[in-house]
Amino acid sequence: MTELIISQVVNGLVLGFLYVLIAIGRSIIFGMLGVVNFAHGVFFALGAYFALTLQDSIGPWAIVLAPLGVGILGMLIEFALMRPLYGKDPLLGLFMTFGIALFTEELIRTIWGAAGRPFNPPSFLSGFIIWGPILVTKYRLFVLLLTIVILVALWLFLHGTRYGRIIRAGSRDPEMVSMLGINLKRVFTAVFGLGTAVAGIAGVLAAPLWSVVPSMSEAAIMPAFVVVTIGGLGSFGGAVISGLLVGVSVALSIQFWPAASTAVMYALMIVVLLIRPRGLLGESWERFE
Amino acid sequence: MKLINGPKSGISRRTLLAGAAIGATQIAAPFVITARAAEAIKIGVLLPKSGPYAVQGETGKNGAQIAVDDFGGKVLDRPIQLVWLDESSPQSSQQNMRKLIEEEKVTAIQGGVSSGDVLAIMPVAEQAKMLLMATGPNATEITGKNCNKYTFRVDLPNKVTVQSVYPQLKERGKKWYFIVASYAWGIDAYNQMKDVLVKDGGTVLGYDQAPLGTTDFSSYILKLRQAKPDVLYVGLGGTDLTNLLKQMHEIGLTRQMALSAPIVNDSDLWAAGPDAAFGTYPKLWNYTGPHLSKRSAEFADAYKKKFGAPPEVEGWQDWFGATAILTAIKETNSTDSAKLVAFLEEHKFDGYKDAPIGFRNFDHQLVQPLLVATVKEKITDKYDYFNIDSEYPKDPSQLEAAYGSQADIGCQFKS
Repeated sequence: MTELIISQVVNGLVLGFLYVLIAIGRSIIFGMLGVVNFAHGVFFALGAYFALTLQDSIGPWAIVLAPLGVGILGMLIEFALMRPLYGKDPLLGLFMTFGIALFTEELIRTIWGAAGRPFNPPSFLSGFIIWGPILVTKYRLFVLLLTIVILVALWLFLHGTRYGRIIRAGSRDPEMVSMLGINLKRVFTAVFGLGTAVAGIAGVLAAPLWSVVPSMSEAAIMPAFVVVTIGGLGSFGGAVISGLLVGVSVALSIQFWPAASTAVMYALMIVVLLIRPRGLLGESWERFE
Repeated sequence: MKLINGPKSGISRRTLLAGAAIGATQIAAPFVITARAAEAIKIGVLLPKSGPYAVQGETGKNGAQIAVDDFGGKVLDRPIQLVWLDESSPQSSQQNMRKLIEEEKVTAIQGGVSSGDVLAIMPVAEQAKMLLMATGPNATEITGKNCNKYTFRVDLPNKVTVQSVYPQLKERGKKWYFIVASYAWGIDAYNQMKDVLVKDGGTVLGYDQAPLGTTDFSSYILKLRQAKPDVLYVGLGGTDLTNLLKQMHEIGLTRQMALSAPIVNDSDLWAAGPDAAFGTYPKLWNYTGPHLSKRSAEFADAYKKKFGAPPEVEGWQDWFGATAILTAIKETNSTDSAKLVAFLEEHKFDGYKDAPIGFRNFDHQLVQPLLVATVKEKITDKYDYFNIDSEYPKDPSQLEAAYGSQADIGCQFKS
C-alpha cells in the first residue's frame, strides 16, 4: 500500500507540473495586466490545433512555431480588443475574454471540425521509467523538465532583466512608469503575447495526452482557474505550489475515492479561500483592494 | 369598421366585444389556415454542443438532418424544421426540453446521449405528453423500471449489450477491472456486467468510478497496472474514452489486456488514432461491413457526401430516430402525440438492418440485432477501424428473447 501511495504521489506531482504549465500563463497575465483571462483555455486549444496543422507541412518544428503563432495572435487580440478596456471597470475585461473564449471555440469547430483529432507523442518519448515504486512515462518526464526550464526562464526574465523590471513596475504603478517615458501599452501587449504563448506551449504538450477537440479548452480553464486562485492571483511561486498540491490531491483521491477526484480540487480551493482569501502566496495589491 | 360605431346604436359593450372577437376570427380565419399550411413542423433535437459528448452531438444532429433531406424537407406539405438545443447536464436538459415544448412548440423531441440527462427529461415528456425519441442513452432502466408511455429508445440497453460481448471477452480470462463514469450509465453498466461475470465464476479485481469529463487517467492506469487484469471493462465514452486510450498508449498498455465497453462510438476511437485504439465492443451499427443494409448504405453515402466523413454510429441512431418520427407523422397524417405513440408501438421498419425492426409496445425499446466488433490489428483507413466478429443474437429467432420478456423488464406504463 505504501508503495502505491508513493507512486500516486509522484504521479500527482508530475500531473501537477502540467497544471502549473497550464496556469502560469494565466497567472502572468493577471499579475501584470490585472486581467482575469477567461480566454486562456482557447489559447491552450489553439496551441494544439496550430501544431496539428503545421505538423503536416513542417514536421517537428510545429511544436516550436505553434506557441509562437498563438502568442502573435494573443498580441493582436490584446491590441484590438483588450487595450480599449484598460482603466475601465475590470468586469469589462473579464466579459471580453469570456466572449473571445466562446467565439474562438466556435471558430475552431468551424475550421477544424467537431470531431477529435489523433495526436501522438514523438516515438522517441514512448515508454516509461521505473524506479522502485515510482513509474513515470518518458513523455511526462519530458513535460516536467520543460516546464521547469520555462519557469526558470520566466523567473529570470521577470526578475533579472530590465524588461522584467519594467513589467513588474508597470503592473504596480502604471502612471509612474509612464511618466518615466516608457511606452507601457507596448509592454502590456508583449506580456499578453507571452502569457498566451505559454498557454500555447501547454496546449501542444497536452495534445498527445488529452483529447484534441474544440472543447479541449474546458480541460484547461478550470484547473488553471483553481490553481491560480489557490496559489494567489498573480503569484508565480504560489501557482507552482498550488499546481503541485492540486496534482497530488487528485492522484490520491483517485487511489482512495475516485468518484470525488474532480471535486477535490474545488474543495481545496474553498478551504484555501476560507482560510486565506488572497490565496497561498497572494500579495495585497492596492489596485484591487 | 361599422362595429366600432356600435355603442352609439345602443349595443352593450360586452356584446360588442364578443361580436368583434367573432368577427375578427372570421375575417382572420383564412389567413390562419394559409399560415398554418406554411408553418413548419418542428422537431426538437436535444444533443450535446459541448462537454465530453460534443462530437456525438454534432454527428447525431447531422444524422437527423439526413432524415429530413430523405423526406425532401417536407411532411404533411409543411416544411420540417430541426431545432437543436444543448444537452449539457440533467438540469439544463430539462430547461431546454421545456423551452422546446413551450416556446418552440415542437411536435416531438429526439436526442439524449447521456442516460443521466435522459432520465431527467423523461418525466417532462410524460407530463407534457410529448413524444421523446431517446436516440443515444444506454442505461437499462430507461426502458425498464423508469419507462414511460411517451419515451421510445433507439440505443441499446446495457443489459443486452453485456450479454452480446461477454462470451468473447471471457476467452481472455475472468479477472476483470472496471472503470466507469460516475453516473447512471456507467454505474448501470458495471452492475449489469459484474452480475454476468460473477455468476460465471469471474472476479472483480477493481472498480473505479471516474467523474464524467475526466481528462487525466494516469492515476487510474497506475492502479490498473498493479491489478494486472485479463479484461478491462470501461463505462466511458466521448472524450473520456479517448483520453483513457491515449494514456494507455503512452504507458505502453495498448492491446496488453482485453478492453471493452457497454457500447462504442467510432468517433472516440478516431480521435485516439490508429496507434492507441483497441478493444472488442458491442456496436449498434457500422457504416461498412457485411451487415450493412441497402437502405442504411444509402444513408452512409448521403452522410459522407454532405458532411465529408462517414457517419459514426450516433449518426445512424439519430437518422433512424428522426426517420421514425417523420414516418409516424406522415402515416398518421397527424402531429398528435397519442397517435404518433400508437403508430410507433405497432410499426415495423424494414430495410434498416438485417431483419425488420420495431419498438416493443410494452417498453418502447427498439428491438434490433447488434454487432460485436474488434478494432483491427492494422488500421490503414482513417475511418475503417473495425472487424465485425459476429451479429447478436446469432440465431435471429432469438432476437425478441434477447431483450428480455415483459416480466423481466419491469416496465409499467401509467395509463
